[in-house]
Amino acid sequence: MASHKPPPPPPSPLMADNTNTNTNTNINSNSGEDKLIAVARHIAKTLGRTETMTDDILQIFSTFDGRFSREKLSDKVDADDPTAYAAFENALKSLDRRISHYVSSDHPIWYDSSDSAAFLDAIDELVATVRDWDHMSGDKPVAACLDRAEDLLQQAMFRLEDEFRLLIERSGEAFDLNQLNHHHHHHHKNNYSFDSDDQEGDDDEANFDEDEQSIPVARPLSDYDIVIDALPAGTISDLHGMAKRMVAAGFGKECAHVYSSCRRDFLEESVSRLGLQKLSIEDVQKMAWTDVEDEIERWAKAANVALRILFPSERRLCDRIFFGLSSAADLSFMEVCRGSTIQLLNFADAVAIGSRSPERLFKILDVFETLRDLMSEFESVFSDQYCAFLRNEAVTIWKRLGEAIRGIFMELENLIRRDPAKAAVPGGGRHPITRYVMNYLRAACGSRQTLEQVFNDNGVDYHRNADNPERALSSTSLSVQISWIMELLESNLEAKSKMYRDTALSSVFLMNNGRYIVQKVKDSELASLLGDDWIRKHTAKVRQCHTNYQRSSWGKVLAVLKLDSSSLAANGLAKSLRDKLKIFNSSFDELCRVQSNWVIEDDQLRMELQISVAGNLLPAYRSFLGRLQSAAELGRNAEKHIKYSLEDIEARTNGLFQGNGRK
Amino acid sequence: MPATDYQGSSVPFTSLGRSILSLRREQIHSMEGQSEASSQELELEAFQRKVSDCFHELSASVVSNGDDLLSVAWTRRLLDAFISCQEDFRAILFNNRGHILRPPMDRIVGEFFERSVKALDVCNAIRDGLELIRQWKKHLEIVLTALDSNQRALGEGHFRRAKKALTDLTIGMLDEKDSGSVLQHRNRSFGRNNVGRDPRQLGHFRSLSWSVSRNWSAARQLQSIANNLTPPRGNEIMATNGLAVAVFTMNSILLFVMWALVAAIPCQDRGLHVHFSVPRQFTWAVPILLLHDRIMDESKKRERRNSNGLLKEIHQIEKCARHLTELADSVHFPLTEEREAEVRQGVHDLAQVCDALKVGLNPLERQVRDVFHRILRSRTEGLDSLNRGQGPD
Repeated sequence: MASHKPPPPPPSPLMADNTNTNTNTNINSNSGEDKLIAVARHIAKTLGRTETMTDDILQIFSTFDGRFSREKLSDKVDADDPTAYAAFENALKSLDRRISHYVSSDHPIWYDSSDSAAFLDAIDELVATVRDWDHMSGDKPVAACLDRAEDLLQQAMFRLEDEFRLLIERSGEAFDLNQLNHHHHHHHKNNYSFDSDDQEGDDDEANFDEDEQSIPVARPLSDYDIVIDALPAGTISDLHGMAKRMVAAGFGKECAHVYSSCRRDFLEESVSRLGLQKLSIEDVQKMAWTDVEDEIERWAKAANVALRILFPSERRLCDRIFFGLSSAADLSFMEVCRGSTIQLLNFADAVAIGSRSPERLFKILDVFETLRDLMSEFESVFSDQYCAFLRNEAVTIWKRLGEAIRGIFMELENLIRRDPAKAAVPGGGRHPITRYVMNYLRAACGSRQTLEQVFNDNGVDYHRNADNPERALSSTSLSVQISWIMELLESNLEAKSKMYRDTALSSVFLMNNGRYIVQKVKDSELASLLGDDWIRKHTAKVRQCHTNYQRSSWGKVLAVLKLDSSSLAANGLAKSLRDKLKIFNSSFDELCRVQSNWVIEDDQLRMELQISVAGNLLPAYRSFLGRLQSAAELGRNAEKHIKYSLEDIEARTNGLFQGNGRK
Repeated sequence: MPATDYQGSSVPFTSLGRSILSLRREQIHSMEGQSEASSQELELEAFQRKVSDCFHELSASVVSNGDDLLSVAWTRRLLDAFISCQEDFRAILFNNRGHILRPPMDRIVGEFFERSVKALDVCNAIRDGLELIRQWKKHLEIVLTALDSNQRALGEGHFRRAKKALTDLTIGMLDEKDSGSVLQHRNRSFGRNNVGRDPRQLGHFRSLSWSVSRNWSAARQLQSIANNLTPPRGNEIMATNGLAVAVFTMNSILLFVMWALVAAIPCQDRGLHVHFSVPRQFTWAVPILLLHDRIMDESKKRERRNSNGLLKEIHQIEKCARHLTELADSVHFPLTEEREAEVRQGVHDLAQVCDALKVGLNPLERQVRDVFHRILRSRTEGLDSLNRGQGPD
């Protein structure tokens, strides 16, 4: 079956440039035009990814220059020429020899870059040859050759797939801390074309090590603005070369499958090395909250590393390996990231679904903020159509976390509302709930901006509005939420103040708690949330309690000291004054004894109260004493009825509210 | 899921045809002399009827066409039914939020929400399973490409390619525990020993890992949903104005639907032996028990016993793949016309399964997700009103 003369059109003259092929001996070197036409035809074929595109390009050429007539450019083989298929046969024989040599090789072809280049060239020629002859498949001998060619192509593709897997798996192994294949890796290291330039770029960021290429994410990270090159540039371009051939030969699905399963394993391994466990919703619900908190910390780190480093790196890798093959790239990338992304999101979801007890707020805020801050990464890294659902999932779960946070505030409301008025705080002191709520809110305000976002996002909450019709009209922003909680706290404290039988003590209790609330508001973010009016109003309330206390506690004592004209009848004056003094002595004594056990927690408030008690009492007492001493019939005897000097009174009032009984 | 006789009830369920609710109403009416049913009673009865209708429809389609059972299309209808019942139930909870705060309703509803959470994990596992099927579909598509009917002629190369994809599919469809031995037999085109390698490498062939922990078990999850699920006692029905019946109904649907999903779709540690007692007096019990029995029968069939999902399309994949593998193993070249026709037919059947999956998988996955979201929303609402209600004031 030797060919008598060179077959008409060369399969692909330019393909020969980088190979040592000897198949295109047919070019008439004397004919520049032949060469030109061959080049034009080749350009059209290379650029045209489909038959029609190639055709369009040929059409453009033919209108561009008379020499490029469609007839000349057409590489249609003359079917009547009996020698035509013999050329095919010959070409095939040569390709078979070249390809089979590699396909049957026991060593990876990509160990040696000249082997791999020769193998790819042979594949390219085979594909081109098949394309050249495909239209003649009606011709029986040609059809037989085409069958053989396709068979050969399939064998080459299997080998290519294995080589692709080997190359990409190798890179995964390189990141294995256990270095199970350490020896293997080292042995062949020099045979692989690691691009040393690329490695240098990694060194500062990724801590690549001669012996152990640990994953860069293992060290503490403050800056996420890095990209891992999981594979050296040389390997990437090798893989790209393989992927291009596989896609062109119709083996794109196989290629994408190998790619995504290898990279997915790599990614899942990386995520699990960040300490993230696979947990079901029920697992998270059953875990002790402190364990969940630890898990949340690990999760936040892992989510950041994944979205800011791992996924973008995968995206880049994918785009480079499938360069020019965008839909294969998008689909493969989604498959690589899907599992890890869902694992990350499922945990956040499980946290959102969990219990809403108020102490969880702060960690759930962390999860919310982490997702919020990663939202733009979700948008950018998952921007293509295949990843759209991951983007949507992220938004859904992020919103659910917002809902959980609002739920926690509702839970806080319930907690306040339900806090029973069981035992009164001795001495009218500050109630634990006041301290709890105020410190809680102050801490929560540390995340004020986040909370405002959470509450502004809130839709119409029909429950809340049903409970409190006024609020249906107002916005449900954070300040409204906080003042509502303050209202609940106050009414809870009001109820608790009723526990005291002594109304003066009730006032002291309200004063203590009110004063504390106002102070905690004043020196925190709460001040600006609740506003000046609120502070003014509540300061006035505390003052009102003060007045109430004065009146109900000291009113009667002052009344005793009051000297009106009717009681100054000359006759029984002395006796009357003596009696009044007696009453005063005993009630003052009693009040001081009782109220020294009461508590004013705030030093300044205590002093204010002591001063105001003394301030009210002393002038009245002084004038009473004056009256007493000037009463004629008492004379000097008056002194022996006076139990308390003015100094004594002041000293005793200074002993008020020391909380003696509490200790 | 055996039918049980109703026990421990002060309300006699003697009349099969009558609903428990109307029975209860008659009792009350005879005591109180009322003549009008309250809107709440009507709502609860409508719910029973709705559930009954939904599941009668589902079972009727299976009875008239046995092939329908656990097909992607039927499973989607099952989820539609679930969602529809779930929404009605959610409305009942909302309309009766005053009632659900009082014992024993608070406990009954609380237990229902506990079960819901367990169902959420099942939904997530099913989502993984659907992804796994999608992976299988990719191997099938390679088979279809290799043996494409537009191909000029089917050559050895095409069959080799198809066979390789079929082998990968078979490995992908094996349970994890079986995959090791097969892998050792897997041909590689050049010398590389798979034996004794990092077991992680299995992942490359297994094509997917689960998003739940290794010890998570669908069977255990179903059992824990079924745990202590008993029909309400007569006094509970009375004390809850019949609401306990609605909750039990929803519990039963939840369990059945989750069970059917686990039966149909691959997931970690599947197992269908769940104890579930439904008194036949509930009108919806009959179709549900019928479906249950049909599915159990299916799982016991010899050719399906080792299957990792009873989804009809999975069975078709298995059948088509086996048939094509046998053909590919036995063909000689050039192909006889008879053989070629056989192959074309096999490819045609496979293409049909692929189409059904292409059309059905994505909507099914969205639906599973929807079920997840709805269960969650209803639970959140319910827990909110339970919480709000408790308190001294």
